Amino acid sequence: MADLAKTLFEGANLSRRQFLVRSAATGSGALFGIAMGPTLFAQGEAAAAVAGKSFTPAVWFTMEQSGRCNMHVVEAEMGQHIGTALAQIVAEELEVDWNDVVLDYPGETRESFDEFGIIYSVNSGSITTEFDRHSRAGALGRMALIEAGAQLLKAKVPNCTASKSRVIDRVSGRSLSYAEILKQTTIDKKFQYPDDFQGVELKPRGDYKIIGQSVPCLDIPEKTNGQAKYGIDIFLPNMVYGALVIPPARYGSKVLSVDESEAKKIPGYIAAVTVPDFAGIGVPQKEKSLGFCTGWVIAVADKFHRAMKAAQALKVEWDPGPYGKLTDADILEESKRLVADSGKGQNWVLEGDVDAALKDADQVLEAEYTSAIVQHAPMEPRNATVYRASDGTWHCYMGTQSPTFARMTLEPVLANLLGSKPEEVKVAVHQFILGGGFGLKQHYDVAVGAAFASFQLDGRPVKLIMTREADQALPFPRTPSYHKVRAGVKDGKLTAADHHIACGWMGPRLGVGDWWLQLPPDDNPNGHMDQWSIGGSDHWYTMQNFRVRAMDNPTCRDALQVSPLRTVSNSYAFFVVETYIDEIAHMLGRDPLEFRLSLLSGDGERRGIPLAGYEPGTPSDYYLDRLWLSKPLAEENTWIPYESATVGGAKRLANALMVAAGKAGYGTRQLPENTGIGIAVSGAEEHQSPTWVAGAAQVTVDRATGRYTVDRLTIAADMGIAINPHNVRAQFSGAALWGMSQMIRERNTLKNGSIQELNFHTYRPIRLKEVPKIDIEIIQSGHHPSGCGEPTSTVVAPAIGNAIFNAVGARVRQMPATPKVVLAALAEAKKAETAKK
Amino acid sequence: MAQLTINGRSFSADTDPDTPLLWVIREELQLTGTKYGCGIALCGACTVHINGKAVRSCQISVSEAEGSQITTIEGLDNAGQHAVQRAWIEHQVPQCGYCQSGMIMQAAAFLADNPNPTEEEVVEAMTDNICRCATYFRIVGAVKRAAELMASERAGVREVSDG
Repeated sequence: MADLAKTLFEGANLSRRQFLVRSAATGSGALFGIAMGPTLFAQGEAAAAVAGKSFTPAVWFTMEQSGRCNMHVVEAEMGQHIGTALAQIVAEELEVDWNDVVLDYPGETRESFDEFGIIYSVNSGSITTEFDRHSRAGALGRMALIEAGAQLLKAKVPNCTASKSRVIDRVSGRSLSYAEILKQTTIDKKFQYPDDFQGVELKPRGDYKIIGQSVPCLDIPEKTNGQAKYGIDIFLPNMVYGALVIPPARYGSKVLSVDESEAKKIPGYIAAVTVPDFAGIGVPQKEKSLGFCTGWVIAVADKFHRAMKAAQALKVEWDPGPYGKLTDADILEESKRLVADSGKGQNWVLEGDVDAALKDADQVLEAEYTSAIVQHAPMEPRNATVYRASDGTWHCYMGTQSPTFARMTLEPVLANLLGSKPEEVKVAVHQFILGGGFGLKQHYDVAVGAAFASFQLDGRPVKLIMTREADQALPFPRTPSYHKVRAGVKDGKLTAADHHIACGWMGPRLGVGDWWLQLPPDDNPNGHMDQWSIGGSDHWYTMQNFRVRAMDNPTCRDALQVSPLRTVSNSYAFFVVETYIDEIAHMLGRDPLEFRLSLLSGDGERRGIPLAGYEPGTPSDYYLDRLWLSKPLAEENTWIPYESATVGGAKRLANALMVAAGKAGYGTRQLPENTGIGIAVSGAEEHQSPTWVAGAAQVTVDRATGRYTVDRLTIAADMGIAINPHNVRAQFSGAALWGMSQMIRERNTLKNGSIQELNFHTYRPIRLKEVPKIDIEIIQSGHHPSGCGEPTSTVVAPAIGNAIFNAVGARVRQMPATPKVVLAALAEAKKAETAKK
Repeated sequence: MAQLTINGRSFSADTDPDTPLLWVIREELQLTGTKYGCGIALCGACTVHINGKAVRSCQISVSEAEGSQITTIEGLDNAGQHAVQRAWIEHQVPQCGYCQSGMIMQAAAFLADNPNPTEEEVVEAMTDNICRCATYFRIVGAVKRAAELMASERAGVREVSDG
């Protein structure tokens, strides 16, 4: 892949016509579709040069003369096998033989952007947003092939059908393969999204042959023989290596001096590069002038081992900056102070009259909840390789969740260095598969660092690899969160819920402008709100009086550089919601399952978006469209092809809960002492891409030590349609274990502004030995498909907490629930019991 | 200059004697299937075979590795068809795949020593390798399947896997 991409991008520096002719001459029709689809060229010119060569009906795939179909995967391949899933969607409608399908991963240039739009894989949103238009693209390709085939067969189009890469005339019985058609004729058609995609008739879902099959994933064989190439695997001629000196604070350190005397004794040592922070420059910086690489010194050497040694040998003096004394305890105190100050924050959800209902209540539950700092810690640490080609183009090689934003970040940064305008800088980002992403690899600090080092070395290729320690010292972690909840009950019913959240808001780090954020539902003057950092607290339960008040903790936000991590806020928001719902049920003396089902009635807005389809202006769907589906951005009444994934609303969640509870034996299984089953539900991702998830955890607690084992997890999730059920199962189980890992142990601490857990002995993800039995039920309701990479992670933590309560009566309100937390909860339960007596 | 035997071939590597074998394999020989994960033997992504035993290549220097038979994922089987690799495809184990070379090398060395393991033994043998995608369920299944495939091979039968 790397070589192909290199050829391509070097090729792109030739004039368009030269490139075209060269490609045609070498017979590499496949090259066209990768980053430079034929629409970049005048149609006639393209047709003349590639007559009978290849066919690219839409930007997402190219069919070669041989019949081979190259799927251009405009998503990051980071373990979710998205390429295979998208290919299945296209192949279904294209009627291409699955054996003819291969994948490639387009890079990013300003020109390719005109073809593909924003490439950005987050939020488990790829299938939700791509299913419909990839289906339509496949169908349009099939229709064009049928038309061309019919002409060659001298048959009538309505009499022809397509199957397994052949066009068949049903009258004569004669047929032509797609390869034969492309050898004999040029199909000079390219369909533009969205205009040409309207009115395409898609297959009835009951007729699917490839969608719904667990076909082997196309990227798996190369991941078993060492041939898969990640960003860290790139080699370029004359390349040197960079290793980071870890600054004293996660954010805000300033380099005062660098003493190279010891480093210079290391053979192969080249330079110490002090990186500017580029504050206010680049995509993520625009809004709040946040810097990238604060306090970064990169040791450069001819080999990475020597670069690491040099990084140790450099004596750097820093000013640790404004957060140099900060601890995680300080952040928590600040969040508590913010919540206590009624003048702060905005109401995100406001239904009914919460204050009156609380005043009128028979009994009020009042509780505090917290979640810790956690980080992504992907197995492949962040890395990027950058050099300047002889024509002035800057090439960046990395595995990133957004090659588009990587380019858009490097352009202004390099322009700043070169004293030119961003639009004058040519940047090509070469995409690789990712050794884990989880949200971390939507950041470009490592690319900026590598680019600056290369700039300092006159454009020489620099591969900057973050060591495990550097990667974990400079994370973009999930924010720690603090919650205060009050809930009122009267006459045996829940009458009010009041949820206050303080955490670091992630939007600013991502450069999210006000237009993308939500306004509060009341006339609170405190401005827009970052729904990314609150989402999930607006659960799917019907409540008469319900308020969510949220506020940013700017110290937390900036000192930690908080950022999305697998399900973003939903991981902590659902932990809190599903714990307080459980507590209310117990307070009312009602069974938590029965109580949840009674609230999942699907009233009002919690019905989901009705089957009739998209309602223009519906806020949540609207901004999803603006992000993924449209370029330029859609106006409110633009035709939006896909049916919303939220059809059915809370009722689908109730159904999933019944399935999970039933499979887990909730309430029916005889359990030993100190063992309990807890349940939880979640509809993840800001109400837009919900996979309706329910989970049950069976847990056994040791009262003496607070240690517990998770014996069994049950997950039931309705995702509409499972494109590849085996892979969905893999994603569901992997995400569930991710959620368990966060609940049993994962946490970062902050001391003197710096993250303390820098490798896997102190930051300890779940290991094989700790894995429980797991039972997964994929509910295929037939609705629009939604994502599977993240959602099941959100139910595990609350299900474990609720199970601990059912096992030993200890209520856990912290995430992670370490043995210490469980012991404290046991002591509290004992105290309450004694007080009652 | 270190003299190494890797995947049955001899190489000279122009490098410092204390360089971890991992970086020599990756940078000097550009055999990139062996991965860097943690650098301190906590994750297993860099696992190779040295004289048939699974070793974390981040923990052995190039000078210590001289004179040994070193096998990387690329040399486990010339056609990439070792029983463990076939089982890995059949069970569709990898997700992001970054840890999987190490997993496969760990499993292959383990099965060479213990051709008929219990599930508990498989878990014990594989638990020091971290997979952040948590492909763990399929790993256990695939190691057991590889044991079956290897047993068939010893009996002279080559099973065709579905993958």
